[in-house]
Amino acid sequence: MAEKVMVKGTEAIGEAAIRAGCRLYFGYPITPQSELTEYMSRRMPQVDGVFLQAESEVAAVNMLYGAASTGHRVMTSTSSPGYSLMQEGVSYIAGAELPVVFVNVVRGGPGLGDIQPAQSDYFQATKGGGHGDYRLVVYGPESLQEAVELTAKAFDVADKYRNPALILADGMLGQMMEPVEFPEFRDLSTLPDHSSWAMQGAKGREPHKITSFDINEYVLEQMNLRYQEKYKKIIENEQMWEEYKTDDADIIIVAYGTMGRIAKTIVNMAREKGVKAGLFRPITLWPYPYEALAKLADQAKLFFTVEMSMGQMVEDVKLAVNGKKTVEFYGRTGGVVPTPNEVLAKLMELI
Amino acid sequence: MLNTNYKCHVIIGMFGSGKTEIALNSAIYLKEKYDNVAIADIDVISPYFRTRDEIDVLENMGIKVITPPRKFMHADLPIIPPAVGGYIVNPEFQTIIDAGGNEDGSTVVGSLKNFLDQTKTATYFVVNTKRPFMNTVEDIEYYIERLSAKARRRVDFLVSNSNLQNETTEEIILSGEKLLKEVSEKTGIPVAFTVVPEFLKDIKTEFPKFVLKRFLDKVYQL
Repeated sequence: MAEKVMVKGTEAIGEAAIRAGCRLYFGYPITPQSELTEYMSRRMPQVDGVFLQAESEVAAVNMLYGAASTGHRVMTSTSSPGYSLMQEGVSYIAGAELPVVFVNVVRGGPGLGDIQPAQSDYFQATKGGGHGDYRLVVYGPESLQEAVELTAKAFDVADKYRNPALILADGMLGQMMEPVEFPEFRDLSTLPDHSSWAMQGAKGREPHKITSFDINEYVLEQMNLRYQEKYKKIIENEQMWEEYKTDDADIIIVAYGTMGRIAKTIVNMAREKGVKAGLFRPITLWPYPYEALAKLADQAKLFFTVEMSMGQMVEDVKLAVNGKKTVEFYGRTGGVVPTPNEVLAKLMELI
Repeated sequence: MLNTNYKCHVIIGMFGSGKTEIALNSAIYLKEKYDNVAIADIDVISPYFRTRDEIDVLENMGIKVITPPRKFMHADLPIIPPAVGGYIVNPEFQTIIDAGGNEDGSTVVGSLKNFLDQTKTATYFVVNTKRPFMNTVEDIEYYIERLSAKARRRVDFLVSNSNLQNETTEEIILSGEKLLKEVSEKTGIPVAFTVVPEFLKDIKTEFPKFVLKRFLDKVYQL
């Protein structure tokens, strides 16, 4: 491990991607993500990589589609409206089974929204967003160090399953600064070998075909069933979550990303008041750690979901708890970040 | 600390070098010496962690804070209120200009050239050697030149602000000073001061020591 440096969240994710072996970046600036694009524009030439500013998010996502077809590690980053623009391409990439890492530094919405942090793109991230039956592996980091680790993980998982992955950050994570320790640079010769499917020159062999489409509906159905088999494996192997002081907790706060981090403060404040609170923090938002959360339904009296949205992940919490216990919700939206005090006040009202 | 032989102080530097924290602390430092202190937020680059987030704290201390009109404060718009020029030239005020980061942030300083040239202005370049692109003499020199050109100002002073927030150590501060001393010797630009956090306020520094209280602590900090 190298020494620590002070970085912004956007820079942390950019550098982590480079160290994970990403040398192809296509993007378009949008607040509060622009520094990631800018960082890549400075950094890619230093590591013999390619930075290309696309003319729009629609162009960027199609550049990703093409570049990923060559089997190289490739990434883009954007913020809410920009990610919406990319959805057609995300669906194609998922259908063509290409490993691409997306970063959405979420801002307030809907529509143009504002430039403050939000978590209101959870449905888009985890339940589709584009058309068709597909899934992205979605990570919700709470800190810059975790963002660095999850970025590397996202590339590995994308490669392993030939599936796009998404880092779902928010404006706060993108803009905050913290000391971070980066891993060493990945030796590019150790990256997974994709020569069995990638477009790397067909001389002396049958051509490869990369497509999300077949004109025969039965063949297309078979393709879909193959995706589903893959998703099952991802659900089995890739769930991640953190439990904080849940051992003796009878109130389980459920929150992810930066809200999950703030919720740790809330847990501690509640405990000072004699309330046995704990935090369940999903790290993979898809696959969602339903079973791990469900296990807490026996000991808990109440589940309390807190989000920077009007209630999106709370639906997954309800699916996990499955009616066994009450699931309550508190959220702020439009770029407002709930303070520990206001969340605690709401919690005290509920119990 | 800022050099009070000047009446206007322009703070430039790369993203996240600590300009706003230094500007806020410096405004309070100047307020102890002068009746009239103004701070102008001309950061049109970063949408978060700007002087404008701390208006109430500063105004309660009697410091004049110049920001875009409240209704546009959180807009992603490059608004520079005309009052900025006025406070730069107003002889009754010690004025701090808190610029945005990188070349683009310094470009806004360049647009204020007519005002800044009319008054006794010092330009400070803040360096945190723990930041990307700021950890070699060559890089620091390169960006001093780039930002200076955009700001249309000669850099008069360097500010040593090497830190890892709460994980800052004496060693980090001293090795940052050492690197900056090399830059200073090569460029001929003196180091005005070294920033140290409150929890290291007793360490011995090579350059004058400026103890910094953090303002922009946020809700996510445990």
